[in-house]
Amino acid sequence: MKGIRGISHLSRRFYAAFRGDQPLNEPLSGLKVSTAAPHTYQDVHVTKLPSGLVIASLENYSPASKIGVFVRAGSRYETMDNQGVTHLLRLASSLTTKGASAFRICRGIEAVGGSMSVTSSRENMVYTVDCLRDHIDTVMEYLINVTTAPEFRPWEVSDLTPRLKLDKAIANQNTQIGVIESLHAAAYKNALSNSLYCPDYMIDRISTDQLHSFVENNFTSPRMALVGLGVDHTVLKQVGEQFLNIRGGMGTAGSKAAYRGGELRVQTQSGLVHAAVVSEGAATGSAEATAFSVLQHVLGAGPHVKRGSNTTSKLCQAVGKASTHPYDVSAFNASYTDSGLFGVYTISQAAVIGDVINAALAQVKAIAQGSLTAEDLSRAKNQLKAQYLMSLESSEGLLEAVGTQALAEGTYHSPEAVTQKIDAVSSSDVVNAAKKFVSGKKSMATSGNLINTPFVDEI
Amino acid sequence: MASRAPATTGRLLLGFRKWYYNACGFNKLGLMRDDTIHEDGDVKEALRRLPEQVYNDRMFRIKRALDLSMKQQVLPKEHWTKFEEDTHYLEPYLKEVIRERKEREEWQKK
Repeated sequence: MKGIRGISHLSRRFYAAFRGDQPLNEPLSGLKVSTAAPHTYQDVHVTKLPSGLVIASLENYSPASKIGVFVRAGSRYETMDNQGVTHLLRLASSLTTKGASAFRICRGIEAVGGSMSVTSSRENMVYTVDCLRDHIDTVMEYLINVTTAPEFRPWEVSDLTPRLKLDKAIANQNTQIGVIESLHAAAYKNALSNSLYCPDYMIDRISTDQLHSFVENNFTSPRMALVGLGVDHTVLKQVGEQFLNIRGGMGTAGSKAAYRGGELRVQTQSGLVHAAVVSEGAATGSAEATAFSVLQHVLGAGPHVKRGSNTTSKLCQAVGKASTHPYDVSAFNASYTDSGLFGVYTISQAAVIGDVINAALAQVKAIAQGSLTAEDLSRAKNQLKAQYLMSLESSEGLLEAVGTQALAEGTYHSPEAVTQKIDAVSSSDVVNAAKKFVSGKKSMATSGNLINTPFVDEI
Repeated sequence: MASRAPATTGRLLLGFRKWYYNACGFNKLGLMRDDTIHEDGDVKEALRRLPEQVYNDRMFRIKRALDLSMKQQVLPKEHWTKFEEDTHYLEPYLKEVIRERKEREEWQKK
């Protein structure tokens, strides 16, 4: 790790001190920029190494840096034998590695005021560290150790069992999580049906060997991306070349998600019913996916004014006419690399859930038949654009956007390109998306007091 | 204990270590050297980390030894632990535990 320490001298600290005469947001007067490739001064740089590892960084001259390792190893790459391994892996991030003990990783990061976190989705696992710019080299050393050289000692792994149970208990408190998990389980035959949480029967059953083989088969260079904010691209590239080039090859290929359509009902003591009704949507990056996103905002993707009446939401308008009881309804949209889910998510009293679902679906049908005004379309586009751009304002959102794009496509689409894509969506695209939902095979997940809840074939 | 001395290839020393091992006498109860280490905090932690099979074997040997010593007997000679067969099964785990403890102590001193 000596190498990284040396590099820190290159970081441009006290940059401003040498430039008193000119504002920092303007290029230097003597600077010659190649005319062949025009770029702004704070651009996302993306390099793909020969090994397939993608390195993306944005030097924003911020005093705080954020570095993430993105790995295409989400729960969809689990097999029948190692269900829940990604959940355990998420918790195992601070265990002893070949280069540093668990104690040292924890204290080392605490000592410099940094933080390390791991999140995983169905597609990706993301290891992130935050720190002040001066401590990049220290913290990066731990990040590299955690992602490339874990040891998974059996006694440390078995100590994680209570945390695994705690995680599940906390997730159980949240009905939405349960509904979305069972929605995926009902909608897909494989891959995307895997839960983000370790199933009960696998708690304490996942061995060190299973963890090792999952990491070996999935954490390969072509499936990784090293992403940094507030870090010099050359520094990050050097780190990637030296330390992250560990395993070549594509590893185990995940199976392609196969949509089946189905239903899962979970009866609970609650007085409310949560119900999600979806059809297969579009895969990330397709033009259709943008149309689905616009459609989501036409229908209403959640309140824009706190405790407001949510009047711009088509779904809320429609359901408000059908039921006088309290309800919540929003459009649900999830995109993955090879499939997606689109539909409506409703919460209501047990007695009226049938009316609420039918009113919401009738509203989508109305749009599929072409009742979409120009104002609604432009409102939805504005909301979508604003939501996307605002998500890039936070460093978490930006890191995630850069990382997922770098990992999936090896490039980064500028916000301008994305907003242009949103602008290009026509009224007929949105209507077609709605048609696809209406005609598609439905999946449904419900939770709560199901006494009056219709089955999927009854809606 | 003699067997804790640095490993040596000297024939004479090996002979001495063998003699000392047998003179200690715990092998006559079927114990191994690592069964006799005093159980302090480090050893307890190291024991927790032992693979299950190794741990069960250890418990078997210790119980057999307790039983024998209560009866004032020793095992028949063919069952005595031989110097060559005595594996230091706990040593790597114990070393690791001590190393971790030292690391913690070093950190506290900072």
